[in-house]
Amino acid sequence: MIQAKNKMGLIFFPAYDWAIEDTHPEREERLLYTQDQLREEGVFDIEGVLEFKPDVATELDVMRTHFCFPDVASVTTESHMISAGGAIRAARLVLDGEVKKSFALVRPPGHHAMKAVHGNRGFCNINNEAIMIEYMRDNYGIKRVAIVDTDCHHGDGTQDIYWNDPNVLFISIHQDGRTLYPGSGHTTEAGGPNARGRTINIPLPPGTSDDGFLYAIDHMVLPILKDFGPEIVVNSAGQDNHYSDPITNMNFTAQGYAILNDRLSPDIAVLEGGYSIQGALPYVNLGIVLAMAGVDYSGVREPNFDEIADEIRQERNITAYIERLTEVVLGNYFKPAEGRELLYPGDYVTRKKNIYYDTDGIQESQVESLMRCNDCGGLLVLESVSSVNPLCLGIEIPVGACPNCRDEGLKYFERARKQKKYAVIHFINRVNKEYVRV
Amino acid sequence: MYIGLDVGGTHTDAVLLDRGGVVSTCKTDTEHSNLLGSIDRALREVTRGIDLGSIVSVNLSTTLSTNAIVEGNVEPVGLLVSSGPGIDPENFRAGRHFYLLEGSIDHRGSVVRDIDEKALAAAAEGCRKKGVKVFAAVTKFSTRNPDQELSMAGAVSGFSDFTTLGHRLSGQLSFPRRVASAYFNSAVWRTFSDFAGAVQKSVAAMGIGAPLNILKADGGTMPLSRAADYPVESILSGPAASIMGIVSLCHVTEDSIILDIGGTTTDIAIFASGAPLIEREGITMGGFPTLVRSLKTRSIGIGGDSVVAVKKGKVSVGPERRGPSMADGGKQPTLIDALNVRGIISYGNGARSVQGMTALASKHDMTPEELSSTAIECALNAIKNTVEEMIYEINEKPVYTIHELLEGKRIVPEKLYVMGGPAAAFVELLSDRFKIEVTVPKNFEVANAIGAGLARNTMEAELFADTSRGVLSVPNIQVSERIDARYTVERAEADAVRYLAAYMKTIGAAVDEGGIDVVESSAFNMVQGWHTAGRDIRVKCQIRPGVIMDLY
Ligand SMILES: [Zn+2]
Ligand SMILES: [Zn+2]
Repeated sequence: MIQAKNKMGLIFFPAYDWAIEDTHPEREERLLYTQDQLREEGVFDIEGVLEFKPDVATELDVMRTHFCFPDVASVTTESHMISAGGAIRAARLVLDGEVKKSFALVRPPGHHAMKAVHGNRGFCNINNEAIMIEYMRDNYGIKRVAIVDTDCHHGDGTQDIYWNDPNVLFISIHQDGRTLYPGSGHTTEAGGPNARGRTINIPLPPGTSDDGFLYAIDHMVLPILKDFGPEIVVNSAGQDNHYSDPITNMNFTAQGYAILNDRLSPDIAVLEGGYSIQGALPYVNLGIVLAMAGVDYSGVREPNFDEIADEIRQERNITAYIERLTEVVLGNYFKPAEGRELLYPGDYVTRKKNIYYDTDGIQESQVESLMRCNDCGGLLVLESVSSVNPLCLGIEIPVGACPNCRDEGLKYFERARKQKKYAVIHFINRVNKEYVRV
Repeated sequence: MYIGLDVGGTHTDAVLLDRGGVVSTCKTDTEHSNLLGSIDRALREVTRGIDLGSIVSVNLSTTLSTNAIVEGNVEPVGLLVSSGPGIDPENFRAGRHFYLLEGSIDHRGSVVRDIDEKALAAAAEGCRKKGVKVFAAVTKFSTRNPDQELSMAGAVSGFSDFTTLGHRLSGQLSFPRRVASAYFNSAVWRTFSDFAGAVQKSVAAMGIGAPLNILKADGGTMPLSRAADYPVESILSGPAASIMGIVSLCHVTEDSIILDIGGTTTDIAIFASGAPLIEREGITMGGFPTLVRSLKTRSIGIGGDSVVAVKKGKVSVGPERRGPSMADGGKQPTLIDALNVRGIISYGNGARSVQGMTALASKHDMTPEELSSTAIECALNAIKNTVEEMIYEINEKPVYTIHELLEGKRIVPEKLYVMGGPAAAFVELLSDRFKIEVTVPKNFEVANAIGAGLARNTMEAELFADTSRGVLSVPNIQVSERIDARYTVERAEADAVRYLAAYMKTIGAAVDEGGIDVVESSAFNMVQGWHTAGRDIRVKCQIRPGVIMDLY
């Protein structure tokens, strides 16, 4: 029998009875062929590869992470709670020492879900990785986490949630936003004033193949991770960079995904997008599972790989472009543009955002205000109004908040309650683990 | 009347049964050099003085195939394998005539690369020269498309006495299990079919005209005609025999625990709402996971003859057996002796039990009573822990739909059935420990033979239909049909049952469509671009393990 070098937990939950719509890419069938491939390969018989059921995330797990308007139940279904619960189970397995690594092969995905949630955007309602990370921070005392998002689409939701968090490093490798949904993820986006250099974007040109992705891992991601020194590395394992994906333009392969995971060596991987459900997912997932488990993956190839090998070879100008990108990316992390000096502590920095929820057709306008602070992530206040909800408010006293930010947050909450200006107020107090909706 | 025969490692048990219960029983030692003789003796004994014409069936559970594999007493197999990309198939090498051929089929059953005909011919020729007479042909995803296995079989048809085709073993996916199962099947084929033929002759010679069935690990039987081609399905049927015995001896209706406490081991099984649970994938034989369906059982090294030992002040029981208990004339104290000392049983030479326990206890500053109590505790703990692990595992079994995850049934045992030599001694101890009702079934000494005798024919089949390609197949029973684009899951369910019933008829099994359950059924829209291109329909049906009648 084959032996896994790393004892590995697999949370395989294909939700065979749930779809966004009949012919939507996010539908019942999505992981069917992956399951066929994994079973036929005998993955579940590898000694040290264990399969587990997902947890079901609770309302509290969601409220710890998101401002859901008007409330959690209105913007989620059972499927979302199970998908987030799958990620939580993956984290528990690793942190309880039951396994060395874990992979939550769950759907629906979550990386386009932002801090405030009014509905579904980019097939996502709630952010599975963020809910998992905040669960780890509250229940296991984990402090520093790095997320490497290898989905082809920019992980704009995860970026939004951790924009102001100096202890969570978010790195997204994706197809350049000028050529693909959601349009963001440029190198100029590098984190909020209290967390400069903690958001790192690596936009790659269409047509990037294994060479380009692995170059980005070796020369950008790994050096940054080494310096950051996270306790836990999470891979947002989207699989839509694959050359056969119907909605993107990249040339990544199953073998490339396996090598990437081998080098990145994440503690936890969570499935994100990937809609070439017959031609890519079965092989990409096989590659990722084997690489994480430390089992030889050199034989993993798409059946039609030989015919396509020439077509997907990376063009020289793309290679040169990616090489040039390295300096910018490393600079964003190692020499971040000044942020802390912009304003005096106690001042508010505001961001105005207009967000479109493509799946549900919702339009949202936000004003996010962050209190400048040299001692913590800073008090966050978010006013939001959308085509489905009147003006709502979210207040967050962040993880490890300083006394000043905490007091200010409590006062803000009291004031806002009296004003009667907001239809809903969500109050997150991470210091006291208090999550309230009024 | 029904005859059940269990040829075990130590004993051969036979029973004759009718509607009223057990008519006669026979227990004789198994003569390994003359299995046929043991069977003959047992059969003559239980049928003495009865009308042989009234016998409806003779069901046989035998360790023949299991022993052949365990002892490596197997025939060389020409193992022809093709896998395509994926995990290195070298990992699944078995035997000395393993040929890896180029060729590849994907998960939809499309041929990606043809079999390397030249290499196949060379492999066949190589085997022929070496005098290899039996073969197994296995490709990845052959359950979706058996063509390459069939052409491999074709290449050796001129000189093969027997070839196992991977896709005929099961519709289930798992290339490594398919390879191992096909290999074992061919490796024991000759031994088994020679034996089966001899048994059939000898039964006929005795004047018994009833059909002969072979017991399988899933607690069902297969007609001899099928067993001759699928001997691998007869492996590890021993525990299943006893469990099916319980099914016919007790009206189990609740979630229950079944313990069979023997001399060296305790076999554990779990029933859900009165039905024995089936292993999700298949049984593991000699470290190789296979596709052979089996009941979910676990065996631990705790039995009446398990040695009691003290190491560094810690008392242990088993897993070794070093001869019988001291009460039975053995040299080292065992669990039986501990039970004797505590007065829970009074078995054999009680004085010797006390003597043995006292000697061991005094070496470790204990009284024989303390030592015995601790040893009994230790045995009970081992059993309880294993039962709890099994139940946890069953309740934590992965599921793949939201409905099952949120509404799924959980097993909570309400009753415990215990059988085996020291069973009676354990009733109070177990009810104390498990806090549930404990029952010792009547006639449990021959529950194994009763289970074998009353087990029904079982079989399962998986139908796979792809309306975009217009094909339907049920690989293990050789069904392959064209379908139209409007084919539905309802039709697939009806067809699966119909095909399986028809197959059962051809192998001479006594089953009608009513006895076949659809256990899994799904239909997925396959989408290309943004349009539905067809449906992927899967239906699994089975004849559940069960008994022909309840005895009491
Ligand atoms: Zn994506
Ligand atoms: Zn602060």
